[in-house]
Amino acid sequence: MSEAEHGKKLVLSEEQALEIITFLVSSAEICLHEPIYYGTFRLVDAASRMMGLMLENNPEASGEFFQAYKAAIDANKTSMMWDREAYYDFLRRIPAAAASELKRVRELGDSEGGVS
Amino acid sequence: MTDSSLLVNSEALLGMMRKRRVVRQFTDEPVTIGDLQKMVEAGRWATSGGMRYPHRFLVVRDPKRISLVRAASPGMIWEPPALIILMIETQQAKEDSMNVEHWNVHSIDIGTAAMSMTTMAQSLGLGSCPVTSFSKAAVSAMLELPSHLSPEFILILGHPLPFKRVVNPNAPKPITVRDLTYWERAGQHDPEPGK
Repeated sequence: MSEAEHGKKLVLSEEQALEIITFLVSSAEICLHEPIYYGTFRLVDAASRMMGLMLENNPEASGEFFQAYKAAIDANKTSMMWDREAYYDFLRRIPAAAASELKRVRELGDSEGGVS
Repeated sequence: MTDSSLLVNSEALLGMMRKRRVVRQFTDEPVTIGDLQKMVEAGRWATSGGMRYPHRFLVVRDPKRISLVRAASPGMIWEPPALIILMIETQQAKEDSMNVEHWNVHSIDIGTAAMSMTTMAQSLGLGSCPVTSFSKAAVSAMLELPSHLSPEFILILGHPLPFKRVVNPNAPKPITVRDLTYWERAGQHDPEPGK
């Protein structure tokens, strides 16, 4: 199986997906009364939790990326509590890395004629 | 005259309170039933408005149940080995004519019980962290709580995972007791000398 094909592999069980869904909708509910910026924390924490569950299933195309990306999020996310500006800078920085990894995996698929 | 059997060393007590920190990450070491029993007893002896005790404590140690609760509790960043859910017995509150939506005494009772438990946890060498960011409906569903028990507060606990505390130079200035206290009049931060 090529790396591009690995990028199409399912790496969340239904149970794990339900865990993330429960987390996201619970977060949505409490966002109704919590400080607005907490919502940003819930989103990056959800991304971290999802990567943690995916890593249990050995994602082969982006496994290393997920590991490093999750570690980066976990190391910086709680700065929301004591250094808001550093936290906001962190939020502004992190989307580019995920976007680059998505682009890399997509291009792998494209270069091999697209794997469905 | 003060009953001397009620006295504890106030400096030792204050020193303990000063050292308390929220602990969010724990080792895998389980919390014993004996320790948990002391914690809920500490909660029982906390003040309760009108001695109504509208709260109930649910102790959870089963990792599967804790994992379910965590899924619905965004405020629970890491999984603890044990937790205590402080709930309001809404049927009892109703029978006591407590309007729980507009009269927040029950919330104060939850808070005093939680603080007593937190202090007991510290004295047992346990770390703890209050969690209020959770979906009540989802946690109730996860734990199959009857409709008359409303989860209000989750205290997670365990043996603290050692970590090095780093002082962030951009962290907000620590709050002092003076910041929080007024004497006689709002805005007057110091007691008048000699009075």
